Amino acid sequence: MPVEVEVDVSPGLPGFSIVGLPDAAVQEARERVKVAISNSGYKFPTRKVIVNLAPAHLRKEGAAFDLPIALAVLAVSGHIPAESLKDAGIVGELSLDGGLRGVRGALCVAEGARREGLRCLVLPEINANEAASIGGVKVFGIRTLREAVDFLGGQSEVSQTVPQENPSSESVETLEDFADVAGQSFARRALEVAAAGGHNVVMSGPPGSGKTMLARRMPGILPPLTLDESIEVTKVHSAAGEGNGALIRTRPFRAPHHTISTSGLAGGGSNPRPGEVSLAHHGVLFLDEFPEFNRATLEVLRQPLEDGHVTISRVAATLSYPARVTLVCSMNPCPCGYAGDKRRTCRCSAGQIERYQSRISGPLLDRIDLFVDVPRLTRQELREGRDAEPSSVIRERVAAARDIQTRRQGVPNSALAGRRLREACKLREDSEALLGAAIDRMGLTGRSHDRVLRVARTIADLGGEDDIAVENLAEALNYRRSSFLDR
Amino acid sequence: MSRLGNFPVAQVLEMGVIELQERVRMTERAVQAFEELKHSFEPTAVLDELDRRGITVVTLADGEYPGRLKSVPDPPPALFVDGELQSPQTPAVALVGSRKASVSGLDTARSLGRALAERGVCVVSGLALGVDAAAHEGALEAGGFTVGVLGCGIDVVYPRSNRRLFEEVRASGALVSEYHLGEAPLAWRFPARNRIIAGLCETVVVVEAPEKSGVLITARHALDAGADVWAVPGPPGLQECRGSNRLIADGAGCLWDIPEFVDSVAPEPVGKVPAEEARLEASVPAGLPEGEAAALAGVGFEPTAVDTVAGRSGLRMQELLSALALLELKGYVSRDTSGSFVRRAGG
Repeated sequence: MPVEVEVDVSPGLPGFSIVGLPDAAVQEARERVKVAISNSGYKFPTRKVIVNLAPAHLRKEGAAFDLPIALAVLAVSGHIPAESLKDAGIVGELSLDGGLRGVRGALCVAEGARREGLRCLVLPEINANEAASIGGVKVFGIRTLREAVDFLGGQSEVSQTVPQENPSSESVETLEDFADVAGQSFARRALEVAAAGGHNVVMSGPPGSGKTMLARRMPGILPPLTLDESIEVTKVHSAAGEGNGALIRTRPFRAPHHTISTSGLAGGGSNPRPGEVSLAHHGVLFLDEFPEFNRATLEVLRQPLEDGHVTISRVAATLSYPARVTLVCSMNPCPCGYAGDKRRTCRCSAGQIERYQSRISGPLLDRIDLFVDVPRLTRQELREGRDAEPSSVIRERVAAARDIQTRRQGVPNSALAGRRLREACKLREDSEALLGAAIDRMGLTGRSHDRVLRVARTIADLGGEDDIAVENLAEALNYRRSSFLDR
Repeated sequence: MSRLGNFPVAQVLEMGVIELQERVRMTERAVQAFEELKHSFEPTAVLDELDRRGITVVTLADGEYPGRLKSVPDPPPALFVDGELQSPQTPAVALVGSRKASVSGLDTARSLGRALAERGVCVVSGLALGVDAAAHEGALEAGGFTVGVLGCGIDVVYPRSNRRLFEEVRASGALVSEYHLGEAPLAWRFPARNRIIAGLCETVVVVEAPEKSGVLITARHALDAGADVWAVPGPPGLQECRGSNRLIADGAGCLWDIPEFVDSVAPEPVGKVPAEEARLEASVPAGLPEGEAAALAGVGFEPTAVDTVAGRSGLRMQELLSALALLELKGYVSRDTSGSFVRRAGG
């Protein structure tokens, strides 16, 4: 949203006011701008100065307006030709000595500048790299107010910033690898299927069985980010004040603690910051100890899981942050954690277990297609575990499966429902019969029936098959929920 | 019966009411019950019923009564047998241990059962959860002969979850109980049945037992009956095996190597060595596709995790998962609430 800075100087008692619904930080700009101007060697006009930040009904927040206000004032007092500010995008926070401080969200600003067709973008040097990586707009990074004045006045040159590859940025290869996980081939297969079809997963198991370790490796088997996806992810992180300015090339992995607040998860706060679910956009949102999360807080996940974005309402505007995530949840099978464990006895009553398991219910449950039990394996079993495949190999299969889905229906299998699901998953006779047997003998409900179909479709895609074979369906049946609650 | 003091049973049956009260010191109520039982007991009807169910009775008086059992304290006056006890020449080894054994304890029990059965040795245990079940399973997997001694009536399945195992043992081995048909599995009957286990074998192995375990009573009885007592060593301090470890410290044989132990019990294979095919048949029904058969072979009678089955069966995870679901639908296995699979007898 572009904000236009207008300055008017009129005769009258010396004063300096800013209008246009500025928040506290913007109001304080008055002090900063005044001092910075004089410390840079210029004279602040001793007249009545009014700054208007248009449009007037939008709340203005943050300290990024310092520089444009300062430059506007200097233009009015003749230090800079007014035309040099035309169609120039300017942001920056001023320190009292006239130096420039970095701002949050430089990438978003740059994207806005590009969109508005501004002729250039002038901002603090420290943000220049990030802003330039968007391309399509000339970016000039400056260090002090004086430098800005000289540049705009044509007295000096500032070289246009060319985006640098940050050598320390993570590449896909540095992500945690499945090759480091011993055993647990059931869970690995489940995560591969989940990744291949964009399905959400719940892992259930006693403490120490490796659920977190497995979850952390999930981003590494998802297909690499496209450039557009990369930009989206970097923008969100930039808006949150995270990231070092370089383009983010790896899928995010966010693991909020279960005490997180609603606004922490969905985004918000007085200065709306993207929440964890948005920071996990195009990546994995890992909810460890899932039943410990506040149910009301989890409600905010309903929209992102359904629509792929989060809407935050404010008095004057609604903000929308992208939030298309893969949800991975982990939980213990019961409050003490050891139900079904071979070595430790579970101390919970059946009622306790039931109540605990029912915390994962409702709309969230509907969005989860795979349920995996992750037991604690003995040392011997871990040793005997097959030689672990590296993530890169798994990733290739996953990417191939995703391609098939894109070509066939445009969205991942996890998004299929109703008619589209039935069309994509036409079953042969033997598969139909198997599904029928499953409904009878395994008590498969209507919901689970759809889940099994979706997952079977992904398994068939992983195998490069057009039709869903009996084996694919049979495998899919293993990922149904094994609690005694409604499956 | 034990409260009859030292009077031989025959004599007691002859006594009148007064004598019962004064000499045997029975309470009035006990006398009444006793008299009632005496008069209502119809041997023919009982024997017919037993016959119908294929159960034989071996009394102290019979020649077939196991010799060693006679020397345990208070030998059972009669044994009900469903199946056929092997001849006294066949070596028999008792495998006992706690119900809540560790995973390695269960594995050891199973391996021991299997190894002994392969050698033709009779495996005796209590058909309880834990070590007993694992021992029976191991013997069955090898197609061998196994005897389960019950702490309840010979027709009562306890615990109910062991029903399949019960059937299998009865089919390929024998069930033994000193309790009449329909008698309930009352708590005190289990330590009592332990003396029978001890009395049926020359060798008793305590696979795993914590301190203060009923299993240690079995060891005691075995010693009294002159049998050899062995125990499997466990890691120092591990609660589950403190009892069994102490036995070793107190002089029981240390079973540190299964083949060595089996050799010491039966240096030569005894009688009919179960053929390869017979062994497979005992564990996996014919007619199953290869993949499913391999998967089924990896699932035990105790809950087995998917990864464990994968290790045992050697199948790739993908094939294994589809095989497991098919087996589940066909009724060969079932899945419990923690996602582990368990075998079911029948289909």
